[in-house]
Amino acid sequence: MSKFLLLAFRNVFRNRRRTLMTLLMVGGGVAGLLLAGGYFAFMTRGLREDTIRAGLGHLQIFTTDHFKRDEVKVLDTGIENWRQVASTVSSAPHVRGIAPRIEFYGMVSNGIKAVGFMGSAVDPDAESSLGFASQVTGTGRNLSSRSSGDVEALIGVGLAKSMNVKVGDGLTLLAMTSDGALNGVDVQIVGIVKTGIAEMDARYLRITLPAAQRLLQSDRVTNLVVGLDATENTDVVYTELAPRLDGLSQQMTLKKWIDLATYYNQVHTMFNGIFLFMGLIVFLMVLMASINTLLMAMLERIREIGTMLAMGTPRSWIVALFMLEATLLGILGAAIGVGGGNLLGSLLNAAGLHMPPPPGYTVNIPFRVLHVPTLMIGSSIMVVISLALASILPAIRASRLQIAEALAHV
Amino acid sequence: MAPTDSLVRVDQVTRKFSLDHSAVTALDKISLQIHAGEFLAISGPSGSGKSTLLNLIGCIDKPTSGRILIAGTDTSHLNPSQTSTLRREKIGFVFQTFNLIPVFTAAENVEYPLLVQGVSANERRKRVAEALESVGLSSRAQQRPDLLSGGERQRVAVARAIVHRPSLVLADEPTANLDTLNATHLIDLMRDLNRALGLTFIFSTHDQRLLEHTPRIARLTDGRIVGDSHPDQSKGAPYEQVLAACIS
Repeated sequence: MSKFLLLAFRNVFRNRRRTLMTLLMVGGGVAGLLLAGGYFAFMTRGLREDTIRAGLGHLQIFTTDHFKRDEVKVLDTGIENWRQVASTVSSAPHVRGIAPRIEFYGMVSNGIKAVGFMGSAVDPDAESSLGFASQVTGTGRNLSSRSSGDVEALIGVGLAKSMNVKVGDGLTLLAMTSDGALNGVDVQIVGIVKTGIAEMDARYLRITLPAAQRLLQSDRVTNLVVGLDATENTDVVYTELAPRLDGLSQQMTLKKWIDLATYYNQVHTMFNGIFLFMGLIVFLMVLMASINTLLMAMLERIREIGTMLAMGTPRSWIVALFMLEATLLGILGAAIGVGGGNLLGSLLNAAGLHMPPPPGYTVNIPFRVLHVPTLMIGSSIMVVISLALASILPAIRASRLQIAEALAHV
Repeated sequence: MAPTDSLVRVDQVTRKFSLDHSAVTALDKISLQIHAGEFLAISGPSGSGKSTLLNLIGCIDKPTSGRILIAGTDTSHLNPSQTSTLRREKIGFVFQTFNLIPVFTAAENVEYPLLVQGVSANERRKRVAEALESVGLSSRAQQRPDLLSGGERQRVAVARAIVHRPSLVLADEPTANLDTLNATHLIDLMRDLNRALGLTFIFSTHDQRLLEHTPRIARLTDGRIVGDSHPDQSKGAPYEQVLAACIS
């Protein structure tokens, strides 16, 4: 078997120029996939971290009843002893902090007209300690937990336009309390927010947690956002925390960020689709070009194959020999592609390139290529399979040669 | 070694090839019997059917009609796998253009038939050394074919043909690509192996140098045997005379 492998290996390098061209083609395909996949991975990772830092956190804790809630009386299904729950969770390894939230709905009025809003109430200190991104991308400032007197509010740019207000102006919030009464609170606008989504900007409102609890006449919260030291630890912490939440007075549900990140999942699915399409194109290119190359190699060796068959070599050996040669070519090409792709990726990263800003953004996006081991393994396996498949036709043609005709071949 | 047993029996064999709308008869009802240990030349002009006859005896082609028996086995009844096994175990081939595997060394080329037979590595090493020794190429064992002379390549081919100890060695125009000196050496080598090992050699040639060393010559013309005799018997009846007699 070792001699057979040796024969295949030497045959691969028999026509060095052609082998070099094949290796460059296969390696180029692998390198291209690694660069594209590495860039997609970088963008996906960036989107993931942006999504988490935008306030989603790594994990979120809800009561199980939260998902059956009445959107008018949102805190009826809220977490009662949320400080105790937070204390239970905060001692787990990798937990960096916990931020309580209230999601609520109501009407906002400027005295002339009233429109509906989607509100969220936060603890500004807890949010900033978890590194959640600043909400204000328009004008004004963020909420402060140390404000005196007036209730501070951030509103969306669309809502501000609709209500004809600016930073420093006042508005009145109206919402239903837990016992069904309508309650109101006056707020002062400290910042105008641009979320990038027009529908969201038209309904966005954020106030502090105590203000929301006063408005809704409840000390409950709707959810607790858990921030970790690294996203990669999400599964570990999830496994650790789930049993801890079982013994509490309310039945809790723990959600991972991936279960709540709808937009991220859509983008991730789209990138996967694009990458699979590119992979398919590379696969077919390698397959077609390799069939041609391997057929040429077979035609050059007709007399030799005839000689081997004349000496009693089983025809299955001839098939195996050609497939082995193609597989070796695939392995070598993949190795060149992985090496070249990683080298090129590192060079591009070192060059510090930037891509133009996408629609809705004002800053250039850095061009980075991640080195993803699963991508390297997957691309390599793909081209090796492609080469092995490409060898089937030449291998079968070689094995079916008529010996006498093959020996007379010039 | 005196020829005793019948190793090859060619019985009323015809081989026709289709050519567009017509058929060419390469061999026409040929019968021939070759005993173990014989050293037989098949001679004749180009296109007379020498190579076709060797291909049929070597089981790399099938007769259109008639039958060929190798060591008592009727080859027309063998399936492709059995034919392959017969060639692997009983027959060695020497080709006009040497047909060595270019990426293998001389030793690896000689080893190849043993590899196909599944002989153990130790046994392979021993037999390869013996075979290369017998053709005088031990010192060139690790050279690749492109670094060997034509004569050396053909001796490697002979070593490859005998290494698995076949009953029969078929050589198709083995001296056609060699100069006189190398051709003479090769003829002597084949004759020595025939005598020393009792190997049966059947070769096609129109090389007079080779025929002079050949005890039995079967002469072919237009697909028919027009003479089959010991050289002593054919003296005084040269090839042209035999041909003329046949035509008349």
